[in-house]
Amino acid sequence: MNRTQRIILYILLLIASASWIALSPVEGEPVAAGTAPQAGFAAPDFTLTTTTGESITLSDLQGQAVLVNIWATWCPPCKAEMPAMETVYNEYKDQGFMILAVNSTYQDTPADIVPFAEGYDLTFPILLDETGKVTIDYQVRSLPSSFFINRQGIITEVVIGGPMSEALLRTRIEEALK
Amino acid sequence: MIEAFQNLFTPPRHMILLVLAAWLGLTLAERRSQRHGISSEDLNNITFYALLAFVIGGRFSYILQNIPAFSKSPLSIFSINPNLFDTFGAIAAAGIVTFAYGQRKQLNIWNILDALTPFFAIIAIGLGLSHLAAKTAFGTPTTLPWGIDMWNEIRHPVQIYEILASSLILVLVWRFKPGPRPGINFLIFAVLTAFSSLVMQSFRAEYEVVFNSIRQEQVITWLILFACFILIETRLRNPDIIKKENKTG
Repeated sequence: MNRTQRIILYILLLIASASWIALSPVEGEPVAAGTAPQAGFAAPDFTLTTTTGESITLSDLQGQAVLVNIWATWCPPCKAEMPAMETVYNEYKDQGFMILAVNSTYQDTPADIVPFAEGYDLTFPILLDETGKVTIDYQVRSLPSSFFINRQGIITEVVIGGPMSEALLRTRIEEALK
Repeated sequence: MIEAFQNLFTPPRHMILLVLAAWLGLTLAERRSQRHGISSEDLNNITFYALLAFVIGGRFSYILQNIPAFSKSPLSIFSINPNLFDTFGAIAAAGIVTFAYGQRKQLNIWNILDALTPFFAIIAIGLGLSHLAAKTAFGTPTTLPWGIDMWNEIRHPVQIYEILASSLILVLVWRFKPGPRPGINFLIFAVLTAFSSLVMQSFRAEYEVVFNSIRQEQVITWLILFACFILIETRLRNPDIIKKENKTG
């Protein structure tokens, strides 16, 4: 192929590509409006009872940034990230940040939960997912799984596995608080 | 089958696919490296240092962008969590180290890129597989019969398109004979990858919009395509470059 033929080929390919870009559909909201446990989607709503008997509904917290952390007492990375979560909770709660630590109770030992929370001096609410519905709705396949939700109720980041460090928590919380 | 695959490589296990791709890619690249004037030992060293720079550079770049978050808890610098990572910083660091190694060993960067082309082609397949396992880089809703159920909708299986396109590109790359000038094989691989990526981005659900109605990712890919054509022509035409390369081996 000589130089002229090559240049014609480049121009044709560039024009075809530009046409393809122009014809590609662009909708208002990049990610389809809907509910799913994935960044860009509205967080699936739930109502659960805390270890102190209080009922908490996620959608009632709209206007606040929320970290939904799904965990179990037997899971080592869940244990390892609890102190960092407590530190950042105290640091950001006055700015409209909330942690909902959802214990995957249906795969945990209920009697261990309160002593666990007391052992780490946790002050954020510990919710009990006794039927496993939230764990299933959030399609959790690894513990811990963390969902950062912004003030509009949209998931901004999903962190699967752990432990999350304080720096990771801070960067994701600040993003969710924007 | 897709569900079984996703269960097997559920995040963070999806990273295993990238590690396997890197290993397989390097093994294949080693077989052909001599054709491009790069010994397998040099290729191994380059890959080792570049991967090291990728990991350290990715973390370092992330730290630089989030200094206030790390200044309050400096030990987070050593956190094992892979989410504290900046991919662009990582790629830049790996590129700089590859270039520096080439300079030190008097290896032509274009020869290195040609030798690494099978490696990049397999990494692209691994990336598609990891997207499928992690259910990321997903497609727009569709009614087509081959749509897959993902995030509560039937969607274009963009990750599968990505795997198929990358596999086809690998087959083509594997059939390449050394190009008329160093770098041409790599640049053709880059053109093919950019072109397939530009087409597939039309089916992706996640994108940024520029100029009100154009996907930013496609514009960037189009510019990469344009740059590749310029570089191919420069490589084929510029006698000064060729003379210089002949001198440096």
